[in-house]
Amino acid sequence: MVSRKPFDRIDSCRLEKVTKKYGDRFAVKNLNLEIQGGELLILIGRSGSGKTTALRMINRLIEPDSGSISVNGIDVREFDPILLRRNIGYVIQNIGLLPHLRVSENIGLILKLESWKEEKIRERVKYLLNLVSLPPQIFMERYPHELSGGQQQRVGLARAMAMDPPLFLMDEPFGALDPLLRSQLQDEFCKIKKELGRTIVFVTHDINEAFRLGDRIAVMNNAELVQVGTPEELIFSPANDLVAEIVDSKRKYRHIDALKVRDIMQPLEKRYILYPGMSAASALDYMVKVGLEVALVFWNPENTGRVYLNDVLNAVSSGKSLEEAAKPLPLFSPEISLLEALARLKAEGESMGLVLEADKPAGILFSDRVLENLI
Amino acid sequence: MAIQSFNDILVEVMRVWTSQLLSLRTLEHLYMLFVALFFSILLGVLIGVLTYKNRKLAAPVLNSLNVVETIPDVALLVLLLPIFGIGVGPTIVASILYSILPIARNTYTGLSNVPREYIEIADALGLTQREVLFKVRFPLSLPLIAGGIRIAVVFTMGVVTLGGLIAAGGLGAALQNGIQLYDMGTILVTGAWVGLIAVILDGIAGMIENIFKARYGKWS
Repeated sequence: MVSRKPFDRIDSCRLEKVTKKYGDRFAVKNLNLEIQGGELLILIGRSGSGKTTALRMINRLIEPDSGSISVNGIDVREFDPILLRRNIGYVIQNIGLLPHLRVSENIGLILKLESWKEEKIRERVKYLLNLVSLPPQIFMERYPHELSGGQQQRVGLARAMAMDPPLFLMDEPFGALDPLLRSQLQDEFCKIKKELGRTIVFVTHDINEAFRLGDRIAVMNNAELVQVGTPEELIFSPANDLVAEIVDSKRKYRHIDALKVRDIMQPLEKRYILYPGMSAASALDYMVKVGLEVALVFWNPENTGRVYLNDVLNAVSSGKSLEEAAKPLPLFSPEISLLEALARLKAEGESMGLVLEADKPAGILFSDRVLENLI
Repeated sequence: MAIQSFNDILVEVMRVWTSQLLSLRTLEHLYMLFVALFFSILLGVLIGVLTYKNRKLAAPVLNSLNVVETIPDVALLVLLLPIFGIGVGPTIVASILYSILPIARNTYTGLSNVPREYIEIADALGLTQREVLFKVRFPLSLPLIAGGIRIAVVFTMGVVTLGGLIAAGGLGAALQNGIQLYDMGTILVTGAWVGLIAVILDGIAGMIENIFKARYGKWS
């Protein structure tokens, strides 16, 4: 098929002296920002700081009053807005899956409008669902209202990737999810991001998310850009008090050696735990019903593990038991020192461990989340 | 005429059914009903979509249809006599005039009130205005449109029955006969039969509406 894409890769995306007013109020004031090809740039700020407006001007959902926005040196106003938007992935907080279309139809909507063949669309939808860890055989034919929040968000992500766009605009895509699910989706998103190597502009108000995902962070306040730089630059040389407050620089001197596992662990919700004697099939039913993509198998302190939905699915089709499908997890007491726990995680090549209190699961320790909790 | 038992009722029903040719009358009746309904849906949805696309037209068009709606149905039939004569023609035209409004109004309201978030995401994905209308707005309006059609079914049933007054045939003609001959059996049996058909058709329309609601109406 002849490529109707206005651009196949992003070398740079530039906002120059961009201003947008609503009445007397500036939504964005004289914004200069360059997004480099292949980076994930975070736009962070309080609500009303102009970050979403800036984002939506890139795919021309909002037209600036003055200034220009260009991709690879070409002004976006020279592109047909429809072709431009089809070539830019877009994900928002409330997801906006179309309620009357099945998961497969939601993801394949633009492909269909671009007159792809039915078979090719199905193939692409399956590939994308696998990429976001939703088994296609379970989810393809479902309607959005039959999915949990996390699953809907994954479908939203898959839909944004349908046309294989070189640029993504994401507006607080994980904002509405519970903390455990959010960090899991962030992890997976990082993996996908590495695999695909796309340019991403990502709006958030959560500084931890910004540190976790961003290559560079642009801080906005009152419609203006305050500072843009790497996380380290923002922490060690904040441009003003506002930036210092947002990145919370004062906390950086906290002493890691004084901390215990309890200080850093994330609380574990009951619904994530599968209890003894559950068969793989009923575990699958349970996880699909509750909307879990990862669960902990907890027999007794000597026998615990973690399973992903895909593992359970494979176990059901290959006749394995839940115990065999689960991967063992390191166990910690909440009172041991954090450094000791991290050393053990590192030695075992694990990224997470289960914290037990009086032989009952109490929380989870993520190794990669320790740093962000410190700064 | 004294009716003593269930058996007598059956005998009476059979007498009316054969003497008034109710099988034929029912077919005539349903024929007019479905022809009228077909054109009401066609025109109603079309007007709904057109007024949605030209917002300035919406108020005058829907208000004129509202005026038509306020004319009592007997008066409307009589008003049409000079143009369409008597019989099936004016009856169908009157039914259509009556039934366009609920369908057009519900189509217009449905298209206008699709939640903003779906329109925004459709725009952001790169759907054209036309595609937003037909792939997003229209399907999400189907439950409301079906609701309008359901109202139209009830209206049409009433007007078609009145058509008996102006020689359109159908079950209205049988009722007319009954009234003129003061044949209570004919009046009661035909009346009950018309009522039963109306209830059944309304039930079917309601089922279709519910199917659309389940399929397209879950806006969360």
